[in-house]
Amino acid sequence: MNDDIDFYTVDPRKNWDEGAEIQHMLTQCELDMEDGIDVFVVGRQGHRLVACAGLEGNIVKCAATVPDLRGESLSLKLMGEVIHLALEQGHLHLFLFTHPKNVAFFGGCGFYELAEVPGYVTLMENTPVGIKSYSEQLRTLAQPGKKIGCIVMNANPFTFGHQYLVRLAAAQCDWLHVFAVREDVSMFSYRDRFALVQAGVAGIPRLTLHHGSEYMVSRATFPSYFFKEKGMVGDCCSAIDLILFRKYIAPALGITHRFVGTEPFCQTTRKYNDDMKHWLQVADSESASISVVEVPRTVSSNIAISASEVRRLLHSGDLAKMPSLVPRDTLNFLSGYHYAT
Amino acid sequence: MKIVKEALAGTLESSDLLVKVMPLPADRVEVVIKSEVMHQFGEQIRKVVSQTLQQLGLLSGQIVIEDKGALDCAIRARVQAAILRGASVEQLDWSKLS
Amino acid sequence: MKLRRSMLFLPGANAAMLSTAFVFKPDSIMFDLEDAVSLREKDAARLLVFHALQNPVYQDLETVVRINPLNTPFGLADLEAVVRAGVDIVRLPKTDSAADVHELETEVERIERACGRQLGSTKLMAAIESASGVVNALSIAMSSKRMIGIALAGFDYVMDMQTERGDGTELFYARCAVLHAARVAGIDAFDVVYSDVNDEEGFLKEVELIKKLGFNGKSLINPRQIELLHNAYAPTEEDVDYARRVVAAAEKAERDGLGVIALNGKMIDAPIVNHAKRVLQKAQASGVRK
Repeated sequence: MNDDIDFYTVDPRKNWDEGAEIQHMLTQCELDMEDGIDVFVVGRQGHRLVACAGLEGNIVKCAATVPDLRGESLSLKLMGEVIHLALEQGHLHLFLFTHPKNVAFFGGCGFYELAEVPGYVTLMENTPVGIKSYSEQLRTLAQPGKKIGCIVMNANPFTFGHQYLVRLAAAQCDWLHVFAVREDVSMFSYRDRFALVQAGVAGIPRLTLHHGSEYMVSRATFPSYFFKEKGMVGDCCSAIDLILFRKYIAPALGITHRFVGTEPFCQTTRKYNDDMKHWLQVADSESASISVVEVPRTVSSNIAISASEVRRLLHSGDLAKMPSLVPRDTLNFLSGYHYAT
Repeated sequence: MKIVKEALAGTLESSDLLVKVMPLPADRVEVVIKSEVMHQFGEQIRKVVSQTLQQLGLLSGQIVIEDKGALDCAIRARVQAAILRGASVEQLDWSKLS
Repeated sequence: MKLRRSMLFLPGANAAMLSTAFVFKPDSIMFDLEDAVSLREKDAARLLVFHALQNPVYQDLETVVRINPLNTPFGLADLEAVVRAGVDIVRLPKTDSAADVHELETEVERIERACGRQLGSTKLMAAIESASGVVNALSIAMSSKRMIGIALAGFDYVMDMQTERGDGTELFYARCAVLHAARVAGIDAFDVVYSDVNDEEGFLKEVELIKKLGFNGKSLINPRQIELLHNAYAPTEEDVDYARRVVAAAEKAERDGLGVIALNGKMIDAPIVNHAKRVLQKAQASGVRK
């Protein structure tokens, strides 16, 4: 009974003393405390804190056990408690980012490797049939053809720019697959964004619109502590996202070309396009390379149309230019949005 | 009986198994089994799981099993526990569970 | 005369232990659905134990299940499961009075009828864990034909007594009360768990004490303690020799149709013969004291 370890949960934002103890333990394990953690599972042996793991939604962060108790049993019990806690909060499917050297450790606790940025970070999930099931589902939606295109868009909101890109890509391909990114931290909700995309691409032939999935990694889901000092955050995030795309999503649908609009305003998106060319076309991979097609944006009054510009105008209440930037359904939506807020 | 919510039972410790259940939109039962002794005991595990599902009269749900060398009695118990949790069943008919 | 020197406690939620514990061969094996199982796992543990009880490996071992008290949401479901699964003995925790036992017995009988199990085949064991229980020990011990033994449970008892576990002084009266009640009722008496699994010396000291007092056995939480306990309870060579001669004399008297048994010119009566038989039974189970 003396060796028994008690597990319970801690809200680090309310319980500062325990939060500090957890931070201390993480430091011992050479880890930084991560932002955004909603709740921690902690394990105590008597008074001593010996294990902890944090959860932010469905992402496990800051999982660690004290060095002298390293061994399968403690980490198994810890991750067991984590999955129960996550389930109580409505998440059965969990993800985890970790350094490649820890993959075996988490592998023993029920996590499976999804994608690795060689030497930097590995994404794992806690089911053997997560990405497999998803790929199989996608496979049933594959269409015949030699040139199969793909566009992944946040469409925050859907503009003429998006519509132009979609029409151009569809015309050049035997089939086009469009994905709407599911991340719900954009200005407009996923439900609204998706509806506008759906309206905006209606009638375009040889096109399938897909809902986004958890396998399109977003900045929101990516722990920012990874290589903060080296400024690699954005790099690792896009890398994982693109590796997943090339390894699983593209092969399932037979995608040969990925279309993106050039990015005049947003630096992070511009960087993402560059990363795309690297990871989809150039980088070493067991999967076939995918051609990245950068399409210059359409213009209105000599200014490239982009969603960020639309949002800026909306913010400043300047709706005059809207009809030339967004299709009718988006315009109606934005007007409603503007008058409601 | 149908799985109406996500649920799990068991652990990944040696001689145990982790069973996760999820609802499926259609009346369909999908079973995925992963085991470190799949080669020697895969068939046996599948048989026990099948029997258990049939006894419960499961009509719909996805069952994912990660086995760590559990005995038949543990397999039955964990599968039943996960399904009963996922089907939100309170009152049990013990004669159907042996 | 079932030997019940060692009763090994197993947490009911632990699949690994339930799958492998039969190799240890204690006199009885106890699956715990109560304090060793978290609230979240009560349902899962119940199912594990339900199935373990029906596993062939446990058919030759005496099985006990500690159910949750009947006034919890779990107790009745536990009982339904384990009686149907064929448990030998149901252990009722926190037994404070004979009424607690009667309540349990009523439910057990109802379930036996409902599932076609032989009426009376499910035995009972009462755990005494409070001052009330100790004071009512005799009426508890006599409360049912199904009662095969009463056990003192140290952890909750000392809390109720507003003291702590120590060198045994704190259990002094309770042990004696439970023992006497058991003897008057003609059932077994079991002593508390020794929780420091690393303190072999302390464990053996406690075993010596309770053996001298006359306890039939003890609850154990670690398989390592089984052999230690059996050895401490094992008779010496001389004990065994003497016991053999007593039993031989009794058998001879019976063959010769004599009403009186004599050995070395002294009269031997029934209690001495029974004691000798118990000695031989222990010797057979685990040899002579090493």
